[in-house]
Amino acid sequence: MKRLDHKGYYFIAPFFVIFLVFNIYPVLLTFYYTFTHYEGYGKPEFIGLANYARILTDSYFLEAFVNTWKIWGLNFALQLGIALFLAALFSDLRFRIKGLGFFRAVFYLPNLITISSVAILFSIMLDWQYGSINQFLMKIGLIAEPINWLNSPFASQASVSLILTWMWFGYTFIVLMAGVSGISKEYYEAALIDGANRIQTFFYITLPLLKPIMLYVLITSLIGGLQLFDLPMLLTDGLGSPDGALNTMVLYLYNQAFRYNNYGYAATIAYMLFLITVVFSAITFKSMYREAKGEKAAAKEEKRKIKAAKKRGNTNAQGKKVA
Amino acid sequence: MHKEKKLLNKTLIYILLTVLAIVSFIPFYMMIINATRETKDIIMGFTFIPGTELVENYKNMMSYVNIWAGFKNSLIVSVTVTILSGYFSALTAFGFAVYNFKGKNQLFIFMLLMMMVPGQLGLIGFYELNKALGFLDTFIPLIVPAIASPFVVFFLKQYLSSTLHPSLLEAARIDGAGELKIFHTIALPIMMPAVATMSIFTFIGSWNNYILPLVVIFSPEKYTLPVLMGFLKGSQVAQNLGSLYLGIAISVVPIMIAFLFFSKYIITSISAGSVKG
Amino acid sequence: MKKMLGMVLTLVLLAGLIAGCSNSASSTTEKGKDSDVLKVWSFTDELKEPIKTFEEKNGVKVELTIIPIADYPTKLKPVLESGVGAPDVFTGEIAFLKQWINRDYWENLSADPYNVDEWSDDYVPYVFDLGKDNEGNVKALSWQTTPGGIFYRRSIAKEVLGTDDPAEVGSMMSSWEKMYEVGDKLKAEGYRLFPDEGSVRWFSKSEDPQPWVNENDELIMTQAKLDYFDQAKELREKDYTAFAPEWSPSWFASMNGPVAYNGGWEEVDEKASGDKTEVFSYALPTWGLHSVLKPNAEETAGDWAVTTGPAPYFWGGTWLGVYSGSKNKDLAFEFVKMMTHDEEFLTDWAKETGDVLSYLPVTNKIKDDFSEEFLGGQNNYTFFLEEAKKIEPGIVTEYDQQIDTLLGSKVSEYVEGKLTKEEAVQEFYKAVKNAYPNIKTP
Repeated sequence: MKRLDHKGYYFIAPFFVIFLVFNIYPVLLTFYYTFTHYEGYGKPEFIGLANYARILTDSYFLEAFVNTWKIWGLNFALQLGIALFLAALFSDLRFRIKGLGFFRAVFYLPNLITISSVAILFSIMLDWQYGSINQFLMKIGLIAEPINWLNSPFASQASVSLILTWMWFGYTFIVLMAGVSGISKEYYEAALIDGANRIQTFFYITLPLLKPIMLYVLITSLIGGLQLFDLPMLLTDGLGSPDGALNTMVLYLYNQAFRYNNYGYAATIAYMLFLITVVFSAITFKSMYREAKGEKAAAKEEKRKIKAAKKRGNTNAQGKKVA
Repeated sequence: MHKEKKLLNKTLIYILLTVLAIVSFIPFYMMIINATRETKDIIMGFTFIPGTELVENYKNMMSYVNIWAGFKNSLIVSVTVTILSGYFSALTAFGFAVYNFKGKNQLFIFMLLMMMVPGQLGLIGFYELNKALGFLDTFIPLIVPAIASPFVVFFLKQYLSSTLHPSLLEAARIDGAGELKIFHTIALPIMMPAVATMSIFTFIGSWNNYILPLVVIFSPEKYTLPVLMGFLKGSQVAQNLGSLYLGIAISVVPIMIAFLFFSKYIITSISAGSVKG
Repeated sequence: MKKMLGMVLTLVLLAGLIAGCSNSASSTTEKGKDSDVLKVWSFTDELKEPIKTFEEKNGVKVELTIIPIADYPTKLKPVLESGVGAPDVFTGEIAFLKQWINRDYWENLSADPYNVDEWSDDYVPYVFDLGKDNEGNVKALSWQTTPGGIFYRRSIAKEVLGTDDPAEVGSMMSSWEKMYEVGDKLKAEGYRLFPDEGSVRWFSKSEDPQPWVNENDELIMTQAKLDYFDQAKELREKDYTAFAPEWSPSWFASMNGPVAYNGGWEEVDEKASGDKTEVFSYALPTWGLHSVLKPNAEETAGDWAVTTGPAPYFWGGTWLGVYSGSKNKDLAFEFVKMMTHDEEFLTDWAKETGDVLSYLPVTNKIKDDFSEEFLGGQNNYTFFLEEAKKIEPGIVTEYDQQIDTLLGSKVSEYVEGKLTKEEAVQEFYKAVKNAYPNIKTP
């Protein structure tokens, strides 16, 4: 085995060659801009650490940071909740829900449309006078008067979270189901025989074994979520209104770069965002891995217990017969 | 008693799933219906009944852009991107999952780190690079970077670490198989459901990619669909919402088909894997 | 099964690669042929017809590339900076015109062999002036002028004000106080003066015309602009507006007939069904007639007229020039010349589209023949040309678009009651400072 280990380099070489050229180089170039005043025209002017000094006291950036977390947090909780619930339903041997393929395909549909079309669609539907969402909610009597969705900070953040949930729950569900497909059916059969109930099965088998995939979902969603941009941009014409509630970090970055031509500062925001993402991903990784190790052991323990219980059950039955 | 309760539960579940399905499908329906309607009707509100303007909308749209040429370009780019990304990501994930070479963890963490760089700002550097390499106004900047898809590698590696048993590899090695052959005959088939799943996302991501082709492609005959859609929005078609919706519908329907094709493939593998029995 | 799939994938991969290669191969051969093609970039398809004319006239091929306005600067910037794949002629919207003019993107048209300074008397002054850089060199020209006015409904004017004559209505709206009086009368009859508060921003901006930023990079906050906060608030509090912000569905709908005031819920709430209202007037420029009102006000066509508000203003406009790195400058300039200085072409263009031209030799000749059916036979052409003359040149800065937007959002937060006026003004300064750290705010 050891003598073969160097072969790993061959397998990852094509990836890293392309990666260095097309990803790393542009990013390093950007890093240089963080030390400059650069308007995107002509030559960047070196200004040392001024951009970094500015970002640490920038209340707009802080606001964007908080907004981004709020919007992403609500969306992720909902999206993961729905996807896990669905995964639990479909992986449950007792329900035997039919039409997995159909539902999975349909749930994923919202993710097929480009985000700009989604934004156009929702800006029409969220219009507080003529939008179909208010009309519908009032018709079924859920609200008494129209909600001006994009005018109140809370409602607008919640709207964006809900749109994101709508767009992504199908994706998360597919990914989780792909993970479920990797779980050996023996675990479920054993649990079934053992008489473990649904909730136990879910928490002791499905969830722990899905940990690597959940980690994937969490990290990618975190990265994507912290880069939330298109929806707030298109729903507010780039302003992040009302009251800056939809001003997210990347929208702020975009405005600094392309609206106000402060490329140097925008690059600094990009690196701050990078740093934030790294820190939070690292925390997630650490805690998930520690847990995952523990849970895996727990799952093994559970399996052992189940097997043992099975044996005991058999002997008991035999014992009864004997008696 | 127990049976009745179970039936009730099951009915509730199906109702819930159906509601979710409707919520997911409605915007598509709106889009398709709107593609057959006139602008002023679209502004006035939504209806479930198709309009009569489909042919008009189509003619209007085609007078501005040749959407089928864009279709062909998008197809070439997206298919190659999907295949390159699927194959090379599997290769890389295999390398990371199986071998314990020096610096492996550092490289993997480095890759993860680079995933976290916000894309917007690399744009200028990316443009400069392609200018220097002479790749502007070709499909190369759209296709070749797909060889390095960190998200896919990350997913496949996670998948492999829970599905690939080292004993399988050992057995193959004892049989005298080379490493690359092992990858092709053992690892790749095992990864196939995950590769297929990721391929869907890659394909759709590439199909909907807008800002990159916008920046690196100049010749109208090489425009991909999303760029053509932008073209439509800048023209007078934008005042004809029906044509705009028709354009969006035409660009979405094929990925729906591609998606259905791929999702079918995953279903079989999943039922073979766990649910069956 | 799996083997088959592998084979299929390999085949597709090969096919894809071959397709990719053949495509890039064909593109290189095409490039050779492309050199005598004139490349024009713009953000609308306005130039489509002129290009056809130009092709026929000169026997050349012109390639028009349209990029949506939102992505236009993003796409142009790298191209103009690097010169790779750049167009020969490109247009600029007022929003980024000033930024680009002060770089070397457009050829200096004041120099030989163009010498367009000789043309200066042929144009509406503010339009020609906007095409000059800080040193006074002309970089871009425009064929149009885009002054604004107030478009109002004749039938409502007759009913409430006793006249629908543009001059008389104009004098009733000639100051803020008078405008509020009109608003009061309209309100009594169940009408609304404007669709929303944003409608008056142009008047406050041009009441005391001064640039936003002076040569010392200081923000100039005029009393007129400070008053705008109160004026907008007053409009809202006195119920002169119909809660229909620009470009929203309700805005468009209100042009065509009665809209529900404060929500569109008549079919839901029976009691509210009497609560309909009609909007009396809209502040829109020349192009607003053709691209906003006409397509959206089919039911009310012919019932409109245009008149002056408390102050003259202009909104939008497209300029074009020759790319400084173009290899085809002569032909490129020919195109610019046709668009802006060709009597025959411009006469046809104006008659066909109704576009209000900035080129006076043509407008003087044709202006009296216009009679717009949509406006009940009014000659909007002479009206707008008169308005264009009143516009002060030299007050547009490269910051205007963004600063106006920032001001608008703070004003609306004040109108909504989320901030006090003092807070709103301070927040505005802070936002300007954040966007442009070099600008000194009061």
